[in-house]
Amino acid sequence: MPRSHPTSAKSSSPQQRKPAGRAGTGRKRSVPAANVAASPALPVKAASGLRVRMYRIGFGDFFLLSIPTQTGASHILIDCGVHAKDLGSMRAAVTQMARDCGNRLALVIMTHRHADHISGFGSCADIFAQIEVARVWMPWFENPANPKAAAFQASLVAMAGDLGRQFRARLAAGPDPEADQLLSMAENITGGLGVAGIAANQKALNVLHGGFKGTQPEHDYYKAGDPPVLPPDLAAAGLTAEILGPPIDDVLIGQMTNKNQQYLAGATESSEQPDRLKPFGNAFRGKREDYCDKAFAPYGYDRMLRMLHGAQPDVLAAQAQAADKTLNNQSLVILFSFGGKNLLFAGDAQWGNWENFLYGGAYGTPGHTQLTAKAQDILGKIDFYKVGHHGSANATPKDAVKAMRIGCVGMCSTQEHAYNEVPRAPLLDALRQRMNDQLARSDQVAAGAEAPANPQAGPLPKAFTAPSQQLFIDYDF
Amino acid sequence: MTHRQRFTCDDVTPTSEAPAQPPREIPDDIFSTAEIPYPSERPLNVYAFDPSLGKFVGNQMVTHVRYESLQPGPIGERFAVIDYDGSQKTFYKPVDLDDPKLLMTHGLPPSEADPRFHQQMVYAVASETLQRFEFALGRRVRWRTRLDRSHPPAPRGASRRLSLFPHAMCEANAFYSPDAHGILFGYFKASRTNPGRNLPGQTVFTCLSHDIIVHETTHAIVDGIREHFMEPTNVDVAAFHEAFADLAALFLHFSHKEVLVDTLQKTGGKLFEYKLKGDAELAPGGTPAIQSQLSTENPLIALATQFGEAAGRQSSLRSALMTPATPDGAKDIATKIEPHERGSILVAAVFDAYFTVYGRRTFDLFRIFRAGGGSVDKADLPAPLANRLAMEASRTAEEFFSLCARALDYCPPVDITFGDFLRALLTAHLDYTPDDPDRIRDALMQAFRLRGIVAENATAFSEDALFWPKVVRGSLRVPGLTFGDPNGLTKEEKDHNGDVLRAFAVTHADKLGFDAKAGKIEAPSFHPMFSTGKDGKLYVSMVVELVQTVRVPFGLGIPGTFPLRNGVTLLIAQDPPDHDKRPEPRVRFVIPKLYRPEREERVRNFYIASGRATTQPTGHDDDKRFRLDFALLHAGV
Repeated sequence: MPRSHPTSAKSSSPQQRKPAGRAGTGRKRSVPAANVAASPALPVKAASGLRVRMYRIGFGDFFLLSIPTQTGASHILIDCGVHAKDLGSMRAAVTQMARDCGNRLALVIMTHRHADHISGFGSCADIFAQIEVARVWMPWFENPANPKAAAFQASLVAMAGDLGRQFRARLAAGPDPEADQLLSMAENITGGLGVAGIAANQKALNVLHGGFKGTQPEHDYYKAGDPPVLPPDLAAAGLTAEILGPPIDDVLIGQMTNKNQQYLAGATESSEQPDRLKPFGNAFRGKREDYCDKAFAPYGYDRMLRMLHGAQPDVLAAQAQAADKTLNNQSLVILFSFGGKNLLFAGDAQWGNWENFLYGGAYGTPGHTQLTAKAQDILGKIDFYKVGHHGSANATPKDAVKAMRIGCVGMCSTQEHAYNEVPRAPLLDALRQRMNDQLARSDQVAAGAEAPANPQAGPLPKAFTAPSQQLFIDYDF
Repeated sequence: MTHRQRFTCDDVTPTSEAPAQPPREIPDDIFSTAEIPYPSERPLNVYAFDPSLGKFVGNQMVTHVRYESLQPGPIGERFAVIDYDGSQKTFYKPVDLDDPKLLMTHGLPPSEADPRFHQQMVYAVASETLQRFEFALGRRVRWRTRLDRSHPPAPRGASRRLSLFPHAMCEANAFYSPDAHGILFGYFKASRTNPGRNLPGQTVFTCLSHDIIVHETTHAIVDGIREHFMEPTNVDVAAFHEAFADLAALFLHFSHKEVLVDTLQKTGGKLFEYKLKGDAELAPGGTPAIQSQLSTENPLIALATQFGEAAGRQSSLRSALMTPATPDGAKDIATKIEPHERGSILVAAVFDAYFTVYGRRTFDLFRIFRAGGGSVDKADLPAPLANRLAMEASRTAEEFFSLCARALDYCPPVDITFGDFLRALLTAHLDYTPDDPDRIRDALMQAFRLRGIVAENATAFSEDALFWPKVVRGSLRVPGLTFGDPNGLTKEEKDHNGDVLRAFAVTHADKLGFDAKAGKIEAPSFHPMFSTGKDGKLYVSMVVELVQTVRVPFGLGIPGTFPLRNGVTLLIAQDPPDHDKRPEPRVRFVIPKLYRPEREERVRNFYIASGRATTQPTGHDDDKRFRLDFALLHAGV
C-alpha cells in the first residue's frame, strides 16, 4: 500500500483548457488559501480569492467556501459529516477548518440531517463551541416553529431507530452484508447511539441550533424559491444566493398534515416480526400429497416452492430505503454567485427534489419532458458543481449533465464501497467529460497517515491543489 | 408410498362405467337418456366486497361460475389454487368443491378462519373475471408463460392454467408474477393505531377482497393478451395497468344487484355520490346517535376498502372521482406520476363517462317519476323505480366493461399511453356499435378532455380525428390467413399464420411504417375473433400484433442497450364468400406505434430516470429489468 498518492505526479490525461478567469498555465500553487485568509482585503476583481475547500473524511460532505470581502476572507461551511467508512480524520479536519476560518464562520449551511452531512457538529462539538457563527441555513423541515415538520422528522428518526435495532438483531444472528448496508442506512438517519444514549444526530442538531460560541446565530429555514438572507459582510462583498430546493412536496405535506401520521405509523408497525403471525389453526395444515400432480404441472413442485420462498418480503429493507430517500430529498439546493462565477451545491438531492427544478413538474408528464428555460439557463452558466449524493446515479440526472456548461468544475466527496454503486463510474465519466476532466474526488488525497489516497480514483486533476498533500483539496477561482 | 392413497379411486372406476354399456336386448334410443345433465353453472359463496363489510346488504353473495369438474385445490381447467404459505412454510388443506356436502351448500360459508373458504373465493372470483373478459372479447384468453433462458421452455399446455396462491406471504401486498405463473396474495396485521373498521392488529387477507382478486386477475389477463405491455416505456404504462385493473373491479360491482338497488335507494338514484345516508332518519345538522344514522361510504365506487383501512392508507380513487372535471382539475395529469394516483385519473375519466351515460339513460325515468308527484329528495325511491334504475346501471356497466376489454385489441402493441387508450375506446365503440344514441363516445371524449388526457399525433380533439385511421377497403390484404373456428386454432394453423404474417410484414413494411432494414419483424400474437354485430351478421376477424425490436445503446457513458420496440396492431377481417369465392382477408385498421426520434429519446430517458439503466447488463436477465414488477408496484398501495 502506498502511503500517499503522488498527486503531483505527471497526469496521464491530456492537457485541458483552464477554466475561465484563471491566469497562467501549468500547475498553479501560488495563491495558497492561507494567504487569502490572512491577508487584508484584496482588490475584489472578478472572483479572485474565491475558493472551495473539500475535506476528506470518508463517505460524507464537508466543504468550506471562502469569499474575499472588504475585511478579509469570509467563510461559509457547507455540511460537516461522515458516516460509513469513517477514516477517523474528522477531528483533524474540523481543527483544520477552525484554523482556516479563524474561528469565525459567516454562515453555516446544513443541507439535510443525514449523519454523513452533520456528524462532525456532534463529534467535534467542543471545537464548534469555540467558533462564532453569524447565520445558519437549514431546509424548511427543520423549523422548530413548524410543529408538523418537527413531528414528521421525529417520527422519521423514531422509525429509523426501530429499523436499526432490527437490522442489528439480524447481524447478531450472523454476517449479512445486506443487513450491514441497511443498518448503515438507518443509522445515517439517527446517527447511531452516542455515549450518553442520545442519538448522535440529535447531538449534532443541538450544536447547529445553539452550540456555537457567544451569541447564537440567526436561523433560516428555506424551501425552493425563498429569497435567502446573507450575512451583511457577504452581501456587501457581492455574494448572492438562490434556493432551488427542496420543493414543497404535496405528497409529503399530505402525509405530514395527516392527523394520524398514517404513513409512518403504518410503516413502523408492520416492521414487527412477520413470523409471529399465524393465520390458521393447526387443523388446517395440509401437505403436498393433498394436491394432484396436475396442480404443479407447468414448472414443477420444486421450482414453485423456490419461487414462493424467494417472494417473501423484506419489508424492513423497503422501509429503510424509503426513509433514506425521504431525507435526501429534503436537501437544500443552493446556487451561489460571486464575481461572475456560479456555484451549485446540491446536497444529496435525488431525482424527486431536482425534478421540480429541472422540469418544472414531474418528469415525463406532458409539458415536463424538457428542462425548463430557467434550469437550462442556470446549468448553462455554472462554474462549479458539488456533485450530488457522493456521485450516485439518481442524484445527478443525465439531462442536468448535458445542460452543464462545458468546462465547469466539479467536486465529489465520496468513498468507495460505502454504499451501493456509489460513486457511479459512468456518471463520473460523463461529468468528467463535460467538465474537461476538472472533477476532483475527495479520495484523491490522503486523509492522514492511516488513510492514503485511493489509487483507483486516479490523480488529482490539475485544476485543483492539495496544499498540505492531505486532508483537503482546494479549488481556487 | 405416501402417494398410494390418491390412486385408490381407480378400483371403483370400472363398476361405475358398467351401466354405460346397455344390455343387448334394449334397442338404441337416440332420443332418450338417463344420464343426469351436467349443470352449466356452479354456485359458490363469496364476499361481494370483503369481510370488513360484514353482512352489509349483499356482501355475502353467491356467484355463479362455469361448471367444470374440480380436483381438491380447487384445480380446474384454467386455474389451480395452491395454498402454500411461504411465511409459515406449510400447505393448508385444499377444499374439495366436488364434495357432496359442499355441492349442497354453494361451497363453504364465508369465513375468515377457514383457509378453504379463501381458496373457494379466490377460485370463484378469478373464474368469474376471466369469463367476463372472454365473453367480451369473443375468444379464449391465454396466460403468458415467461421463462428466462436459463430454464427449459415452458411445457405445452402451461398457458392453460394459472396458479393462485391465496396465502403466499405475510405482507400487505398481492401481485401477479409472471415468473411464478400466478398470483400471490399476502396477509398481514391491520394497523394498530388506525385500523378503520378492522380490529387493531387483526389479520387481514388480501385474498378475501373481491376487488383485489379481480384486479390481479386482470393484470394476468392483460399480460396474456399483450406481450409488451409490461414494459414501462413511459409514465403512463404502469398507471394504465393499475387503472385498467381497477376499472374491471369497479364495473363488476354494478353486477351485484342487491347492493346496487340499496345504493340507488340511499342516493336517490345518484350513484356517483360517495356517501350513503344512514337507514334511520337524521335531522339536518343533527348528530347521529345510533349506528343506523351513520352515513357510510358508497361501496360501489370504493376499492378494496378493508385493505386500505387496515394498511392505514386512503384510497386515491375517491379523491380522483371527487376532483372536479374542470380545466383546473386537468393539472393532475401533469403532476401525478405515482402509478396509482395517475391511474386513478384514467379511472375517473371513464367513470365520469359512465355516470354521464347512466344519467342520460335514466333521465326519462326520473321525469316520469316526478310527473307522477314523486320527489327524489325526500323519500326513498320506490322499489320498482330502483329496480329499473338498477337495470340501466348494470346494463351500462356491462357495456362499459366490454368496451374497455375490447379496447385492448385496439391499442398499439407497445408503449401505451392514456391517449392511445382513449383512441382505442372510441374506435372499438365505433366498430362494434356504429350508432350511438346515448352519445357514449362523446361522453368519453369530453371526460378525457376535461382531465387533460390528450392523444399524441391526433390532429384535433374530435371524434373523427381520434378514431384510428381506417385502411381504404381492399387496399391491403393478407392472403392465406386462416381463421379457424371460435374454439381456436390448431398447432399447424398457428404455425402457418405466423409464417404468413411475418412474410406479410416484410413485404408491406413500407406501407405499415416499418423500416424493414432496422430489424426483424415478429408477430407475437394473432387472435381470431367471432362476433355477432348489431345487424345480426357474423363478423370474423383477427387481431394481430407486429413488433420490431431494435437494441439501442443508452449512450452517455452508460453501458448496455435497451430494447426499443416499434409495432402496429392490425385488425383483419374475413369477409363472407362473394360469388362462391372467399375474398382474401383485408386489413381494416393499422394502429401504429412507430419509430420516431422523440420516442426513442422518451423511452431512453424514462428507463434512465426509473433506474433501469444502472444495472450492469448480465446476459439472459438483461431484459427483465425493462418489465414492470407488480410486486414492487403494489407494495406501495
